[in-house]
Amino acid sequence: MATFDHDVVIIGSGASGGMAAYVLAQAGVKCLMLEAGPMVDFTRHRSMKAVYDLPYRGFGEPGRFPHITQASEFDANLWIDEKKNPYTHPENDPYYWVRIRLLGGKTLRWGRASWRLSDFEFKGKDHDGWGENWPISLADIAPFYDRVEPLIRVSGRNEGWAQLPDGQLLADESTDSLSIQRFNASAKKLGVPTTKPRRATGTLASSVNLLLPVAQATGNLTIVPNAIVRELGVDPKTGLVNAVHYVDRRSKREYTVPAKVLLLGASTLESTRLLLNSRSRQYPMGLANSSGVLGRYLFDQFYVKNTVTALVPEARGGKGPRNLMGGAGYVPRFTNLKPGKPEKNYLRGWAWDFGSGGTPSPELFPQWGADLAQTMADVQGAGFGMTTMGESLPRFEHRISINPTLKDEWGIAAPHIEQRYTENEHNMAKDAMETGVALCEGAGFEVLAAHSQMVPPGESIHELGTCRMGADPKKSVLNGCNQAHDVRNLFVLDGSAFPSGGVQNPTLTIMALTMRASEYLMEQKKQGKI
Amino acid sequence: MRESGPERYRVWYMNRRRLLQTIAATPALLPAQQINPSPDESAVLKADSPDAAGQPVRRYFTPAQFATLAALGDRIAPSISGRPGAKEAEAAAFLDFLLANSPRSRQVLYQRGLDTLDRAARTKHQKGFAELAEVEADALLAPLKTKWTYAMPADPQAAFLRAAKADIIRATTNSRAVAEANVAGRRRATGLNPYWHVIE
Repeated sequence: MATFDHDVVIIGSGASGGMAAYVLAQAGVKCLMLEAGPMVDFTRHRSMKAVYDLPYRGFGEPGRFPHITQASEFDANLWIDEKKNPYTHPENDPYYWVRIRLLGGKTLRWGRASWRLSDFEFKGKDHDGWGENWPISLADIAPFYDRVEPLIRVSGRNEGWAQLPDGQLLADESTDSLSIQRFNASAKKLGVPTTKPRRATGTLASSVNLLLPVAQATGNLTIVPNAIVRELGVDPKTGLVNAVHYVDRRSKREYTVPAKVLLLGASTLESTRLLLNSRSRQYPMGLANSSGVLGRYLFDQFYVKNTVTALVPEARGGKGPRNLMGGAGYVPRFTNLKPGKPEKNYLRGWAWDFGSGGTPSPELFPQWGADLAQTMADVQGAGFGMTTMGESLPRFEHRISINPTLKDEWGIAAPHIEQRYTENEHNMAKDAMETGVALCEGAGFEVLAAHSQMVPPGESIHELGTCRMGADPKKSVLNGCNQAHDVRNLFVLDGSAFPSGGVQNPTLTIMALTMRASEYLMEQKKQGKI
Repeated sequence: MRESGPERYRVWYMNRRRLLQTIAATPALLPAQQINPSPDESAVLKADSPDAAGQPVRRYFTPAQFATLAALGDRIAPSISGRPGAKEAEAAAFLDFLLANSPRSRQVLYQRGLDTLDRAARTKHQKGFAELAEVEADALLAPLKTKWTYAMPADPQAAFLRAAKADIIRATTNSRAVAEANVAGRRRATGLNPYWHVIE
């Protein structure tokens, strides 16, 4: 018989669930964490293998991951089983939903890029008239960014730019390689800003090593893995969440646990799916959905992988000075920063990651046999590459809904996901490619290939929105502290809360928002409001 | 009373257990050759993969298609300066296995592509692609000289050659033969990575 007397139930253990547990458990709040996946043991579950020893020589099992292009044969067992966890999308508008169901969630594999959002995002509507403002500004969340950055050990360089706010960083004072210096100089000539990458550091920068151990050491956190939440129960008298119904992943046995306060951090689409699946007399369209916008305004950041692939000619044949190649950098959004009419044929903007020193793929060279082998030896380590990340605009028609005819392995209704890129994103991607080519040529690089083909929506793994925060309860689901307008003991902490997302990778902001929401929750409890 | 049935066995096991405990507790009193030289339960044994022992059974391509694929592999990734190529890496046999498990669209791309290549050889030179001289074979690979674009070529044969080139190179690079050659040549070992086992 379960006897744990918890104050809050946290669903999910990644960036948001982990941070909620970190803050609340240290403050003396008794937390019960339900995680849909199993626990990872890095010693037991991981070992070194040669690629030729894998069944498919590194190609991976054909057809195993129709939508997860990131999965390799080495890490295939980390990603979700798409057959057991199905979803649908319109036939001609593929959506790549990339999921990990393990303790720690996607923080086990995130890219670690950690940029603050700016008031160009928080107050985007004020700037260009499109969409909705966030109900908070940079000033509201800056103190929390200040605390999260040291916690996850973000390195980088402060530049004093309004569109890329400075942070509490481990100063990256490394000297750029000569090729990076040349690219930076070429960018400067065209008025394009460049900076160092800004990333969380350490061997592992995950919820499982930075957040959950601290929370559990307090004695205030109980973690239950393999608990797939099916539905949230509601008290018919108060309309508040009062129970969590979950299924054991392995046995499929059903359980119910009472909830005084519910913190939802199951990831953008899973959290909204759960709310849509939690229908009751009070909430016939899904929990906390009196506005009707739950599930709406799905967006992400579009990616154009390898927008430009170039060669640094002096590095061919292994020639050139030792400090010619290597290193990386970042170009923040620099278009449409002036208020008023956009200067480009699109709204908002895009950013680049760029890096020096790789070897271009043999596919790019129109050769084979001995000629190709000679070329590959010649260009080894001489590559320069750029990837575009662009803002996609949240639109009402882009949404997650429940597919009434499809269920997952545990009998839970599966989602239907609709998002497509529009002319605004396509124009942005084209401009990014053309500008990238100009910058590389200006640096004296030899451009091998350039393209503006975006990966399908979802593939960037930066899915956002669908449970947006806002000042107006008629147009949003959450208030500015991630608390549901309709259900005051329900907080939704993950990326679903974003009303817009800019081009910056979202994890840092998810953590800062969660820290802020968790402290707000404690204040509300002190005041007896929850 | 005489012991009988299961009870007798239980007593025997107890005696045996006691005997074993006694032996385990007094190893120094026994001659060295009677002591298990490797009592560590966590000893790690070396094992190898299936293709280290036997020849893989081909089961997908027809003999003609397989011969064409093997010859194509020789042109795309030949052995150079003693470094293994597609032939030594048995890339064609691996791709036979991979294609047998691949989506139908990929299978069709390969089957049609190999058939077209062989047919073109027979039309032009009255012999199969696998029997062509290097110069003759290379002339049929001309679509690979087209500048790379992100979109796959509209011409199905060009699309096939592009896919086959990438697959042959990868199947060769990721082979045991290349890995062993790298080690023997004291070149940097390649293809060794952390592998994630099934997590239950």
